[in-house]
Amino acid sequence: MTNHPRIAFIGGGNMAEAIIGGLLSCGYPISRCVISEPVQARCDFLHAKYPGLCILSGSDANRLAVNGSISSADESSDASAAATVSLQVNATNAQELSSLAAADVIILAVKPQVLRSVVVDLAPALLALQPLVISIAAGIETSAIARFMAEGGQDSQSSTLPPVIRVMPNTPALVLEGAAGMYATADATAEHRQLAESLMAAVSKKVCWVESEGLIDTVTGISGSGPAYFFLMMEAMEEAGVALGMDRETAKALTIQTCLGAAKMAQSSEDDLKTLRVKVTSPQGTTDAAIKTFEAGGFRDLVQKGVAAADARSRTLAKELGGSKL
Amino acid sequence: SMAVATTPAPATRLAVIGGGNMSEAIVGGLLGCGYPLDQCIVSEPTRARGEFLQNKYPGIQVLSGPNANHAAIQGCNASPKTAPTSEGSLFISPTAAAIGSRPADVVILAVKPQVLRPVLADLGPLLRTHKPLVISIAAGVETEAIARFMTGEDPSIASSELPPIIRVMPNTPSLVLEGAAGLYATPDASACQRQLAESIMSAVSKEVSWVEEEQLIDTVTGISGSGPAYFFLMMEAMEEAGVALGMDRETARRLTIQTCLGAAKMAQSSPDDLRTLRVKVTSPQGTTDAAIKTFEAGGFRDLVKKSVTAADHRSKSLAAELGRPLATSPAATSDPNIVGAKEFSNKL
Repeated sequence: MTNHPRIAFIGGGNMAEAIIGGLLSCGYPISRCVISEPVQARCDFLHAKYPGLCILSGSDANRLAVNGSISSADESSDASAAATVSLQVNATNAQELSSLAAADVIILAVKPQVLRSVVVDLAPALLALQPLVISIAAGIETSAIARFMAEGGQDSQSSTLPPVIRVMPNTPALVLEGAAGMYATADATAEHRQLAESLMAAVSKKVCWVESEGLIDTVTGISGSGPAYFFLMMEAMEEAGVALGMDRETAKALTIQTCLGAAKMAQSSEDDLKTLRVKVTSPQGTTDAAIKTFEAGGFRDLVQKGVAAADARSRTLAKELGGSKL
Repeated sequence: SMAVATTPAPATRLAVIGGGNMSEAIVGGLLGCGYPLDQCIVSEPTRARGEFLQNKYPGIQVLSGPNANHAAIQGCNASPKTAPTSEGSLFISPTAAAIGSRPADVVILAVKPQVLRPVLADLGPLLRTHKPLVISIAAGVETEAIARFMTGEDPSIASSELPPIIRVMPNTPSLVLEGAAGLYATPDASACQRQLAESIMSAVSKEVSWVEEEQLIDTVTGISGSGPAYFFLMMEAMEEAGVALGMDRETARRLTIQTCLGAAKMAQSSPDDLRTLRVKVTSPQGTTDAAIKTFEAGGFRDLVKKSVTAADHRSKSLAAELGRPLATSPAATSDPNIVGAKEFSNKL
């Protein structure tokens, strides 16, 4: 990206850290990123890991991260409230804080359970600034986020809600090997979509758009929760090796590299997954013996059931966390 | 251990018997590591396949036809002839360079397991004369059987006359240089020879592990040898699940495969064990928890372990079948798994 939008991360957890780390390793200017994080120990950790990063903490931190310099903070706060505002600011960037620009992009990276109160609190700033709002919170629909913004922005002059893009990333983003599904509300422009995609591409090797929001639950079932399925598969294979007399370290190393190699083959091949499998399964051979055992045990159905369970749980969570729904 | 791709000692002359996919992968991987081209001779019985390999790797020597295996191992001073003779061309290489007279230091046996017996019976005297390091990548053939085949099942030949053997169980992702391989060496293999075998396999594998008991090669088979197919099956099922839930197939496929890759990368780069990795990403009552509970309730773990074990056991059965001493009874020679020497030479 030649133009570097100013990004405000609301919440400094693992995924926010992964995205910032990925952006920085792509050469994104650190001065264009701000994190707001309530937990002091976490702030200290982030400060130690990213010394040049502006990290905000305290009761006004979210708003400052969004609005930029203190002079544009909520004018209705009274003097005593202003006096009790305590902000921790990364020391090396104290002088730059006063010239902190307003955010172009907000990344909501807080736990789903607190998203509502965070968005309600930020709503006036969001309505005034109209940044792109990107949510990586699981189980919170864009209509819910819009509702929270409307709820918090009732007194605002502007009634236009900023566009929202919802992202379902996954943990391998931490090693820059993420898979992400994205959904944009109708008011998001092509530029907005491109921006969101570029940001997620910093930590994801595959970024896919879905055109109906219900499919984000399916993304959750496949790539959102999927890494755990493969961890479970690998754990079982490692145990099998140990039970057959292999030392654990060898069983683990061979298993993991097999998983990696299979994925690499699948990615670089034009063949579909069934063909890839059939090609390596000589009749009556060792692979055939294993696959027949999998099939006889209903492996496919079990996997599909697991994916469907995650998808269903995602839909249920969306209802629970989204509050009232028509 | 994590494979370090280093060039095998520069003067190592390599003969590869059989020019199938794995041979192609190894040759390509070695060349990619800077292995000197003129030190490698591949022998491949199918002419068209031999030509394909020669075109792909112009610098190596590819031989086909009668005595190609012998020439690959022995080396010879003759210049190649490109015109077919009545026996069929011996040499495919279009270059005028002589093959070189030095016998191979390392012979890689990359033929189908079923033909290993007659191939080794044919090459036995030559291998006993030159005693190169013999590396077998044939599934299901034990080192004891390989040694016996090299004697032509003649019990009077002492094992001390035989070259050292290293048995390798590689896997298909070697074709994209992401293999996982298990190795077993007979006791007479030197540390230098073990290192050599490891270097060669490191050209196509990211993980190379030694096992100190040969029966564990069957377990390697169950895990990494056959393992890629297990993950293909898992990914296929996840893709189908996505499609059943309304996702387009391409998106389901791409997300699934990248998830598999990402999980493996996380596991490789983390000090945590696999259980801890899973627990860390499984919030109680969340979506992942719902899926994992479904897997556990359906006996996922046990099914995986059963399947790995099935492959391990099949590997042991195959080894018993393929390694069976040749009997003179008609029943044994009619076994389709065993190709007799006479039948084999008729195929050339």
